[in-house]
This record gives sequence, structure tokens and C-alpha cells, in this order.
Amino acid sequence: MHALGEQIRAQIPYQRRNAASLALLGFAMVLTLAAFAEVGLARDGSIPAGLFVYGGGLVILALVAYAAQLRFAPFADPLLLPLAVALNGLGLAMIYRLDLDTSADRKAAELAGKKVIRDAADASGQLIWTFVGIALFVAAIAIMRDTSNPDAKLSFTPKTAQRYTYIIGLGAIVMLLLPIVPGIGAEINGARVWINVGGFSVQPGEFAKLMLVAFFAGYLVNKRQAMSLIGKKIGPLSLPRARDLGPVMVIWVLCLGVLFIQKDLGTALLYFGLFVSMLYIATQRVSWVMIGVGLLAVAVFVITLLPFMAHVNQRIDIWQNPRPYFDGGCLMKNGKVVPVNPNTDIFKQAKVTLEAKAQQQDAAGQKATALQTRLVGPGWWACTKMGGEYSDSAQLMKGMFALGQGGVLGTGLGQGKPWQTPLSFSDFIFDSMGEELGLTGLMTLLLMYALIVQRGMKTAVAARDPYLKLFAGGVSFALALQVFVIVGGVTKLIPLTGLTTPFLSQGGSSLMANWILIAILVRMSHDARKPAPQAIQDEGMTQIVSLR
Amino acid sequence: MNMDKPVRRVAVFALLLFFGLMAQVNYVQGSQADKLQSDPNNTRQISQVFNNPRGQITAGGEVLAWSTPTGKDNPKYGRNYKDGKVFSPVTGYFNGGGSKVELAYNGLLAGTDKRITHQRWFDQFIGKKPEGGNVDLSIDPAAQRIAYEKLVNGTTRRSGAAVVDIKTGAIKVLASNSSFDPTDVAPQKGTKGGQLLEQMDKTTDIIKPLIDNGMSEVFPPGSSFKTVVAAIGMEELHLNENSQVKTGHMTLPESGKELPNSHDGGSCAGTASLKGAFAESCNTTFGQMALDLGIDKLNAGAAKFGFGQNIRVEPLMRSAKSQVPVSIPDLATGKSIPTGKDATARSGIGQENVQATPLQMAMVAEAVANGGKIMQPYVVNRATAKDQSEVYKASPKVFSQPMSSDTASQLRDMMRAVVSEGTATILQGSNIAGKTGTAEQGAEFPNARWFVGFGPSDHPRYAFAVVSEGKGDGAHGAGPIAAAIMQAVMKK
Repeated sequence: MHALGEQIRAQIPYQRRNAASLALLGFAMVLTLAAFAEVGLARDGSIPAGLFVYGGGLVILALVAYAAQLRFAPFADPLLLPLAVALNGLGLAMIYRLDLDTSADRKAAELAGKKVIRDAADASGQLIWTFVGIALFVAAIAIMRDTSNPDAKLSFTPKTAQRYTYIIGLGAIVMLLLPIVPGIGAEINGARVWINVGGFSVQPGEFAKLMLVAFFAGYLVNKRQAMSLIGKKIGPLSLPRARDLGPVMVIWVLCLGVLFIQKDLGTALLYFGLFVSMLYIATQRVSWVMIGVGLLAVAVFVITLLPFMAHVNQRIDIWQNPRPYFDGGCLMKNGKVVPVNPNTDIFKQAKVTLEAKAQQQDAAGQKATALQTRLVGPGWWACTKMGGEYSDSAQLMKGMFALGQGGVLGTGLGQGKPWQTPLSFSDFIFDSMGEELGLTGLMTLLLMYALIVQRGMKTAVAARDPYLKLFAGGVSFALALQVFVIVGGVTKLIPLTGLTTPFLSQGGSSLMANWILIAILVRMSHDARKPAPQAIQDEGMTQIVSLR
Repeated sequence: MNMDKPVRRVAVFALLLFFGLMAQVNYVQGSQADKLQSDPNNTRQISQVFNNPRGQITAGGEVLAWSTPTGKDNPKYGRNYKDGKVFSPVTGYFNGGGSKVELAYNGLLAGTDKRITHQRWFDQFIGKKPEGGNVDLSIDPAAQRIAYEKLVNGTTRRSGAAVVDIKTGAIKVLASNSSFDPTDVAPQKGTKGGQLLEQMDKTTDIIKPLIDNGMSEVFPPGSSFKTVVAAIGMEELHLNENSQVKTGHMTLPESGKELPNSHDGGSCAGTASLKGAFAESCNTTFGQMALDLGIDKLNAGAAKFGFGQNIRVEPLMRSAKSQVPVSIPDLATGKSIPTGKDATARSGIGQENVQATPLQMAMVAEAVANGGKIMQPYVVNRATAKDQSEVYKASPKVFSQPMSSDTASQLRDMMRAVVSEGTATILQGSNIAGKTGTAEQGAEFPNARWFVGFGPSDHPRYAFAVVSEGKGDGAHGAGPIAAAIMQAVMKK
């Protein structure tokens, strides 16, 4: 029955592969430190002072993480931690490179009293989040430590989560709903996915992703027998009973509803794919996949018709035909795109009209209104007047230009101009990497992601417990899908939607969630790879006596 | 029931997602990179073009344009021009965009052209910066300098000159007064240069420094156009240089007005040989010849010389359109007005709406001097990559053959007669032959004074055309300039 799983387990010699893990970790360190050094050498002509702070900080953190893994999960898969550290380190190096405050030239200019513009890339902030992320990893590994006593204090293994399936599901929904609660929710870049907690912006959706996986796993593992065996057959399809499908559908519809209100298509796509894939793993029914894909088709069709979902509709249009939208384009009712970029007469005229209006308001003493009028984008204003939908493809196009600039080998870290791409440190960090590390670098990054995913899948196959199997499979696939949606978006393979690039993007929530994800995989791989407990037999016949 | 199989399938699907991403990244960065880099919306390139030195533009062993580091971040490299005003009609300017050879050979000069990058594909692969190639012009710098000096001294208005090698079509001189110094608009001049360029570009003044009068501006060719009419007449009406033609008075058929001659004595007294009428430039002979031919034949015949098209000198470097229109658009009504009989007669003496660039007229003289053949004009001899390997070499080819070699031979005689006994006797001893032209441009404008011909007189090697605006006639206004230029050219 357990053909493949047994095979894999049989091949694993139940060896601790900690030496291999340490060697790979060392390699990840060298990679990261070299990246920092290259940035400094290319940018300031010397090894950067930041090498010791940022690179050194990461080395210490990684070694702590390694020690935790050695102590609490000694049979863990040796690749997961080094891969995560390498990705996190490279991302940190790129953010360090983009954060002009870390440049020696700039510090000198600042000291000389020259005015410098601050930028949004924040290397020290990212280092702090890396610290928090790895601390969470260590904490998670410690909490989920392998003990013989499953009810030990503060012990919460992935398996324990099965007991709280519905609470976790509820928690996921709460997390998703938080950003639309007035007061703590915040809208950034057209997506309402943030909450403000004590001065920090947090994306609860990142954590909701993990909780949803746990919920789906717990629910499906209970119901999967019924769902896959009982049902009406219609032709080749076998439809599930309503009561099996019901609860899952409720959660799913609720998720998507929340996401449409939040206008975050990327996350919706991610949850959708996650849901369908886990259903398939649980039931082995292709019909589930087909129902899922059918639902997606309907959803997309509905979205394109809804007026208030213009945001999504235009992303699709931009993806197909970005050129006329550069720096502002206007999609008219007849499907034609009228460019309204700053070089067009429409834009110039609108600018003049708006300025005149603002001056009138000034003259009438309405200072606040005048200020607002001046803040209106002339392109958007002209487009709305013409009855079209305004959109801008400059982000996507500039990201593509960055990739084009990089070519096969890239410009070299510190030698390109990745800051010309908007959001070069977060959504578009993959394009920034592509510019400076080239095709070669991107292929390496993708391989690293693929390796994490495949190691996770291997863990799922090798897992003994069906719940953990589903959990590990779901978590791994979630990572794969997230990389696909965002990287596919910024390379124009699919329409662009906002998601973080795991471990690379600047941002605390994403780093924390992904480090927890790695911790879960590490712990589960430890479970799968450790020797099976031997039954104690004939206790009375042989006695081992210490002779000393 | 076991979940290994579906997990494995999902794992394979996840791998497929990654393969999709890898394929897309390869497609974008591997095969689309060039396209993305040259996208018009891509502002990276604008600063990029200043980051690497461009190749040199040379002529006759002299370096005319070269790049030097500015010591600044942007632009990293500036562009310098030797005697900018003299050579700008050929070199053009560069400031990100460009004109003339700087534009036509932009890719080679910048080192981004396929002909260079294919050679150094490995360097490109390992990320070495592009190295610009050098471009060598066919221009004779000494003659070009004399041409510019003489043109400037000859008039306070516009003037231009062109000299071509009749065997190859290589342009030896292409000079213009007014002109501009491309150093003033080079990248190192910053926004000031850009503003100056825009100001020069938008000027409504008659003198437009950016437009060179050698090939980018048209003037009425006046009597020098009789060379074309004579050639068409001899081909179509079976005349030869000794045919007796009427040279006396002529009334225009529609208005009944007289078509005046410049003088009534000599050959223009009543009848003369065609050669005599040509040498003394009798208007009535050629007015009548144009009427006999009709405007359509005149237009078609002139088209063989290059009239009616923007003549390609180099890629993206084309001349202004010379023309003998069969009708002209009326700007007020938008209808086209056909060229009538009177206008046809006046077209025959290079007036009315006939217009030509000096380059075009030099090509007319080239046909005469070269046995009826015009060679495709060009200005770039060869281009070399940084390692001196040749990446481009001009290959002379025939542009057209508007007349038989017999007609050409007779026309050579007729043009020699212009100097020996006709309107340009002041040029005797300068070893050139040609045809004068003095075109009226309206009451308040000065004449367009032409001298169009070839040299040396006996065994021609070069064809030339000079136009200069001012008072007086072509022989005095343009002849001496042409003689001085040709003296310099023929030294070689």
C-alpha cells in the first residue's frame, strides 16, 4: 500500500545529516558575505562596513538556528535551513544594495550637510525582521521539539494542530478579516491587506496562509474517505455529497469574498490553488480539480464584469498589452486604449485645466480643496472625464526593462540601476535580482525555491501520518504557488498581482511566516526521517548491567 | 487509502510551475533582452549611451569626432568635434539622439551593432562593455575646409556645395553655410545643449543652422537645370550639339508674355547650334524644348537623375527631395494645380516650381562626366571595430543611367563651351567645365546663383555643384567658389 513512502523510508538510513547541513550552511554564508562584499566594492570601492553588521548578524543568527535544529530536530532534512538562509541572505544583500543609506558616498554627503533623499528600501529594518524571523524559527523548533511525552509543557507539534482544526480555521478567517476592520486596517498600493500594530504594518494574510493549510489538512484528513468514496456519479465525474463539500465551500467562499473586498487577487489565487491541490491530495479525485478550475473560470469571468473590480480587470489588460499603458493609459468603453502619459496632449491639457481650477479655489480661499486638486493625477482625471478606466503599466514595464538590462550574466551586484524599478525592494525584488545577477542568478534562485518545495514534498511522501502528509504537501505547494504567482507576475508570464517573494521581499510578516513554514517542514522532516520506535520486547530476559 | 501518489503528482505539478518560470525568465533575459533594451519607453538606455565611449569619425586621416571622459557621472563621456561647423553637414551631432553619420552609424559607433557584437559575442556574454567602432568618411577634409570658408565669404545668406567622385559616387565635399558646431549640443553641455538644439530646430528664420544646404535644402536651379533639359531633349527629340535651334524671341502660349533672354546678342540672336545656345544659356531655346517635351516627359526624364525622391546617402541619411512637379498642391483649397504650358516653359529654365539640392545637381553633372551613369552617392568609406577589423566597406554601385554615353559626351563638350566661350569665361584656366545658373526667387529675395559641372575638364574625375544666394549671376557668385573647391579636390 505505502509503496512509495515505504521505499523512501527504506532508503533513508536514519542518519543524522547535520554535517552536510553545516557544510551547506557554510556555503550559504559565503554566498551572502560575498554578495555584501561585492555591493560595497562595486558601489563604494571598498569592503562595506555593513558587511560586519549585516553579514555578521546573519552568520550568528544562522548558527543559532543550526544549533536549535541540531538540538531539537537532529534528523531534519539537511537542505531546508541552508536554502532558507541563502535566500534570506541574498534578499538582505539586495535590500542593502538598494538602501542608499548604506552607501559610504551617501554617508559622506550627509555628514557634509548635503541634502539627501530618503528611500523606502530599509536594510537595517530587514535585518531586524530577519532576526525576528529566525528567532521564531528557533522558538518554533523548540516548542515543537521531539519528546517522548506528547503532553509535555509548551509542546505543540504539527500533529497537535490536528486537535484544533476548527479553531485554526476560525483564526485564519479572523486574520483575513482584520485588514478590513476600520481603525487597524490600512490600504497600501490599492490592496487592503495590512494592519497597523503598534506602529508596524503587518500582513496577517501571510500567517493566515499557514493556518489555512493546517485547517484544510485537519478537515480533509477526517473527511477524505467519505469524500472520495461516496458521491453521485455523473458520467466520468463523481460529485461529492453536499454535506461533505459544504463546510469547505463555506470557508472557501468566505476567503475569496474577503479577498475581493481587499482587492488582493494574488492571495486569492494562492488560496484557491492551495485549496484545490489539497483536495486532490486528500481525495485523489480529478473531478475535484476540474470543479475547482471550473469555479476559477467562473470567478474570473464574473470579476471582469464587475465594475468595482476594475483593478483586477485592468491588470489582465495590462498584462496582455502593456505598451499603451506606460506612464498612464485609459481603457475606453469600446476596448481601445488611449495613452494619457505625461507626453500626450491630453495630459498636458488636463494639467493646465487642473492648475486653473486649483488657482480658482485658491482665490476663493479654499486652500485645502486647492491642495487636493493639485494632488490629482492629470492622466487619471482626464481618463475619468473621458469615461474610461485609468491604469499604469510603468511598474511592470520597468521591471521588464530591468530584466532586459541584466541579460544572461547580469550587470553585477551594485553595478546596475535596479532602483529605477518601482518597488524594486519588495514586489519587484526578483526583477532587481535579474538585473544585477542576470539569467544565471535567477535560475539559481528558482532552483533554490524548487529544492525547498521538492524537499517539502519528499517530507510529505515520507511522512507516516496522513495529517502530516497533507500538511507538509500543502505547505510546500503553497510556497511553490506563491513563488509562481509573484515571479510569474513580475516576469509577465501571468498577470501581475501583489504577493511577497518568499525570503527575498522586504517586509516582516512575510519573513516571519516563511521562517515558521521552514520550521514546520524541518520538524516534519525530522519526524519522517527518524528511526521508527522499536517495540520493547522480552524485557525480563536480558538485563544490561553497568559493571562500574 | 494512500496519499503518496497524489502528493507525488502535485510535486510534479509544482516542478512544472518552476519550469514555466524558468522558461519565461530564459525567454525574457535570453532572447528578449535586446528588444527590451531598445524599447522607446526604456529610459535606462538614454543615460546608458553616455556611459561608454563612442568610436571616432575620421576622414582623410583626420579625426573629426571623438569621445572623451568628462570625469562626471552623467554623462560619463562627452563628444568632441574638430572644426564642427565645417564638418557638421556630414558628421551630424550626437546627444543621445543624433543626425547624419552619427545617427546613420549610431549602432556601429556605440558598439551595439550586430556586426560588432557578433564578433565579440563572448565579451558580451561575460558582460564586457560595448566598444564602439570607428567610421571613416569619403570626405576630403582640406577641400571641405576650403568649401566652407569660400561659402561663408561668398554670401551673407545661404550657400552650399557638393562634390562627388564620378567613378564611385563617394561624396568628397558636402559643405553648408549656415552651419552649427555639434560640440555646442554634445552630451557634456547638458540641458543647455538640448535647449540650443531645440531652439535651432524650431527657428522660423530663413537661415536654419541645423539644415545643411548641401543635401537637405532645395533651391531653384535656374539655368543649371538646362543640363537636364538638354539631356532629355537630345534623347527624346533626337537633337545633337550641332542641331540648329531657335534662340530668339519667344512668347509664352497661355499668357502671351515674352520669355526673356539675358542678352539678345551672340548665339541668342535668332538661331544657333544647341551647343551655342547652351553655352550662352538662351532661355527661349530651353523654354521651347520643355514645351516640345511636355511636363510629363520632363518630369519622367528628371526622375532618372534622382528628382522626385529623397536620395539615400546612408541609412537614415537621405537628401531633401528635388523636384520637377507636374502639379502642385494649393495650400488654400487643398486641390492640386497642374503645371500649365507657361509654367512648363519656365520649368525648362529651372524656374517655376523646379527645385534641387546641390547634391542632386552634382549628380546631374556626374551623369554627364561619367558617360551617362550616376553612381549611388555615399559618404562612409569603411567602418572598423576596435580591433581594426573591417565591419563595413562601401561598395560602389550604379544609381541610374539617365542618358546614353553619346549624349553625355556631347554634353561634356557643351559644358566645356560654357567656360571657353559662354557665360563662365571668367573661369578659364581653372580646368573645370560646367553650367551656370541664376535663379530668381521673387522680388524681395536674392538670386540663387549656381555653378554645376565637373573637373578636370578633359578627363573628368569629380562632379560638383555650388549654390550661393546673393546678388548677381552664377558665374560670378558661384563659379569662383567652385573653382577653388575643385582645385583642392583635384590636387589628390
